[in-house]
Amino acid sequence: MLARIAQELFWLGRDLTRAEHTARMLDGAFHADVAGALADRGVTLSWEGVVAIIGAKPPAPGEKRRAPTDVPPPFDRHEVAALLTIDMATPASIASCIDRARERARTLRDVISTEMWEALNSFFLSLGRYDLQAALITGPYSAYQEVKERCALFWGLVERTMLHDESRSFLEAGGRIEAADMVLRMLRVAVPADLSAAAEGAQPGHEGEAIALLHAVGGVQAYQRAVRYAPALPAVVRFLLYDDGYPGSVAFSLQALRAALHTADAQPRSSPPVLRLGRLIADLELQRRTHEGFDQTLERVQHELELVDHDIDERYFAIAALAAVHL
Amino acid sequence: MPEVDDYHVPPGCCDELLDAGGEPREHAASLLATLQRLGPDALVAAGERREDIFMQQGITFEVTASDGARRDRPFPLDLVPRVMPAGEWTTIKRGLAQRIRALNAFVDDVYHAHEIVRAGIVPWSLIVSRPSFARPVHGVRAPGGVYCHVSGCDLVRDGDGSWRVLEDNVRTPSGISYVIENRVAMTRLMPELFAGHRVRPIDHYPSLLLDALRVVAPAGGEDPNVVVWTPGPLNPAYFEHTFLARQMGVELVEATDLVVRDAICFMRTTAGLQRVHAIYRRLDDDFIDPLEFRPDSLLGVPGLVRAYREGTVAIANAIGTGVADDKAIYHYVPEMIRFYLGEEPILGNVPTYLLTNERTRREVLKRLDELVVKPTSESGGKGVFIGPHASAAEREHQAQLIEADPARFIAQELVHLSTAPTEVGEGKLAPRHVDLRPFAVFGDEIRIVPGGLTRVALREGSLIVNSSQGGGSKDTWVLAEDGADELASGTYRPRRPPRLPDVRYGGWSGQEQQQQQ
Amino acid sequence: MPTAEMNFAIRYLTRYLYDADVVDNLNALRVKPNANGRQRCDEFNVRLDPEARLHRHTDYFGTEVVEFEISRPHRELTIDVRARVSTKEPSPPSETGWEALLKPSYREAGGEFLLQTDDAPGHPALEDLLATTRAASSPLAALMLVSELIPDRFQYRKGATYVDSPISHLLDGEGGVCQDFVHLGLCLLRHHGIAARYVSGYLFAANRDGSEESVEVDTHAWLQALLPTLDGSEPVWVGADPTNSGLARENHVKIGHGRHYADVPPIKGVYRGRAGAELHSGVTMTRLERPDPASLARS
Repeated sequence: MLARIAQELFWLGRDLTRAEHTARMLDGAFHADVAGALADRGVTLSWEGVVAIIGAKPPAPGEKRRAPTDVPPPFDRHEVAALLTIDMATPASIASCIDRARERARTLRDVISTEMWEALNSFFLSLGRYDLQAALITGPYSAYQEVKERCALFWGLVERTMLHDESRSFLEAGGRIEAADMVLRMLRVAVPADLSAAAEGAQPGHEGEAIALLHAVGGVQAYQRAVRYAPALPAVVRFLLYDDGYPGSVAFSLQALRAALHTADAQPRSSPPVLRLGRLIADLELQRRTHEGFDQTLERVQHELELVDHDIDERYFAIAALAAVHL
Repeated sequence: MPEVDDYHVPPGCCDELLDAGGEPREHAASLLATLQRLGPDALVAAGERREDIFMQQGITFEVTASDGARRDRPFPLDLVPRVMPAGEWTTIKRGLAQRIRALNAFVDDVYHAHEIVRAGIVPWSLIVSRPSFARPVHGVRAPGGVYCHVSGCDLVRDGDGSWRVLEDNVRTPSGISYVIENRVAMTRLMPELFAGHRVRPIDHYPSLLLDALRVVAPAGGEDPNVVVWTPGPLNPAYFEHTFLARQMGVELVEATDLVVRDAICFMRTTAGLQRVHAIYRRLDDDFIDPLEFRPDSLLGVPGLVRAYREGTVAIANAIGTGVADDKAIYHYVPEMIRFYLGEEPILGNVPTYLLTNERTRREVLKRLDELVVKPTSESGGKGVFIGPHASAAEREHQAQLIEADPARFIAQELVHLSTAPTEVGEGKLAPRHVDLRPFAVFGDEIRIVPGGLTRVALREGSLIVNSSQGGGSKDTWVLAEDGADELASGTYRPRRPPRLPDVRYGGWSGQEQQQQQ
Repeated sequence: MPTAEMNFAIRYLTRYLYDADVVDNLNALRVKPNANGRQRCDEFNVRLDPEARLHRHTDYFGTEVVEFEISRPHRELTIDVRARVSTKEPSPPSETGWEALLKPSYREAGGEFLLQTDDAPGHPALEDLLATTRAASSPLAALMLVSELIPDRFQYRKGATYVDSPISHLLDGEGGVCQDFVHLGLCLLRHHGIAARYVSGYLFAANRDGSEESVEVDTHAWLQALLPTLDGSEPVWVGADPTNSGLARENHVKIGHGRHYADVPPIKGVYRGRAGAELHSGVTMTRLERPDPASLARS
């Protein structure tokens, strides 16, 4: 398929996933804040943390770069929430992501189903109608709920109405790589440097963090069914990194990403991104057993993922640069 | 017939469906009877449903309003079709094929031996002063010798009933998507009208085009890769570009998707570069290659002309074809038919006058109140001056323009465009002027879709039918000949569902299969 | 008695330096001295760095075009053109009256070169020049006048105009370069019904005593006007130089012609990449004392 179309699909998946994760993270931060967790319990998944996670991301194609944090500390929750939810001038805000997603979907009208288009279109229109400004002040829960539901609707329609072909693989790949990336960033911000991976039991001062993390990915129930102990930070981090039964974990996302690229690629056996991903997944499996310090693991995995992203760009989308004329 | 009681055809014009006595013509009798039976309310109701359908499906085109704003409007379709008997179509078909063959030969000649210039028929200085004369392709032969792959010649029926060609369009004629969508809409909105008629289908155009492109593609044994090249979503005809690409089952590409390496054109895919053998391009020559044409064109593909010169890619329509549809060249087309084909033209021209000749110019200026004046380089009905409709001040202004730059204009006799019954509000029918744009595809042969786009000037008395100037369209029906084994189309029959297994409640017959349309 | 002949070695070196990697660098060169009645190109080659295959064809105006493309990423492009050319003094032009321009055969021969490509109607400087040149006694006299008036009235100055400047920029009085002077000259001649074409080439701009062996120049532009002949034979293209005044001579080495600059640019190209480019280029022309020994042996 045309490289340009594949790239649009890839980034459509990324934009939507970014919006969804941002909504969940902000929801989690609100929850922790309201529950009084932030001040007392040293939760670093605070407003600063969220800004650091989202603000530091490189821009998507079509996105203009803006200075990462125009909001000076200390971070007021209303300002941050507004910045990352409705501010159209911030490329990473939910509203910007959905705006871009809809624009991309317009180019992709012939590739995605009518229902998928209509879901995105009405998502975009609803953001305009919804008085987010007011909602953010009184209680943003319903706003973020709306975002989560509409994203879920979209992926549900993908599941139901989209042909299992190359286009779908790129859409899926975009969603998965973004999910892995967002969770990694979140973990890097939230996990204290000295946290020992070997510790099993709860550690004082970290309970709030553990719960905040789970909230931020929507994995509270899944964790409880999988682990059955009260959330303890090291265990939660391990869960979010390695558990290949949980769809939001890094390991799961990476495996799904590899599967999508494997389907899309004409020659997966000699494909650099597929091969690199394979090595990364194997490496992750190794880490799971060896209890290496989280810090090094997280940094290495994220770095490798960046290289995978670059490989994908090179392999499928080619260099789409502007032409210039010289005489 | 109540709705056509005060139906006044302008003097000197024919009507397509009614004769001089106001009676329905034979081929239109059934249609008009059905319309009468349905009554004006049916038309009004169908009109409302039509707006909804077109907007929803995005069958729109862009129009510039009087305040300069550009808006998407649903393509205006009048619900009363234009009907043509089979015999009449045969004449048009033969005449068009003849004309296109001559135009094609002319383009080839202009870029090679200049025989028609040597024979003293067309002056070289005229050809070389046409803005669309493309020097970069002089000496280059298009694959298969076909230059005018897609033509849309505009025809009108004059007051004496004869068909004349008003204008040739062999650059990037558009409108075929509306022809096809109009037919689909008519079958949904006014299916009753089709009863009792055998209307020839028109939805095979995309496969005609695809076949033609595949035939001329220099693929050398490989499966030819054909693409549709669009300037992008901001182009007013973008709907048609996506429509055709989808119907033909080929990729719709923009300039950034194409790259030329080693004089071969490729498209960028996720599996690397894939060779392109034929391009149906919907942008003007001026923009296609910054190395040979406009250097500031970001819509172009550098090196494309080089690939074309080497014969590795077919481009439809060929580069430089615009030299044949210049309004000043139009004057010579009947001579071209005689010169290249040795035949007499089946379809006539509208008498046209080149204003660069001083004597002709003086005659024209004397008769400015009777004639039509058109700028040679505009399209879409822009800048057209119609003498009998103009005020004294407008005539004065036009005379000045002509004196200042006579080469910019041509003058034509006024054609008394035929009219057709058109819904003008509340289900009432009134005569409005129409023209006809059939679409022809030239691959190994010339094939023409029956009928084409009938454009109608919606304002009373107006002769300007272009959509950008507020014109509308009608579905065009060419009736199948008796005994012809053409498929009937548009016949409305209720469908019966097949029998469900294990459902024993009876009542389902299940064996009859419904006819495919 | 052989007519005066001059022989030159020409080296036209161009370098582009890009501030980042570029790809798909496509270029068309119009740099080869053409072969005509008074000029012969004995040697011509083009070397590229990075290397690429060269493709040649002759364009509509009869100019030889060399094309190449460099697809892989690179930061620099060097185009090294070398040629050896031999020129003869042009024959003196014949002088007819203005009425010869009205003949249909003249207009057919002039064709597209009679049409304006750039004009500045109503501009006082242009109107003045038109009035002065219209008063010339013959088309040839008008041509001479055009080639003398323009360098006299306008200042030769680099940087005042750009490669796509219209003649109004020059007329506004801030100066211009040979390309602008030629475009103005073409406009004037065509106004008088004289067919005229833009010529691109190399000029051996030696100083008066002719002592220089070698000069460093840029490519040069002049014009040719189509003048009717006295004996009624085909009209003849006569070269004149509105930058240096007077008719073109054997130190004018022609590459090709067109209606205006855009028809015959020495180098035209496009590349892909978000990079700016720095251009260094220059022409070295060296006068050779004698024709090549090899060609002497032939004659």
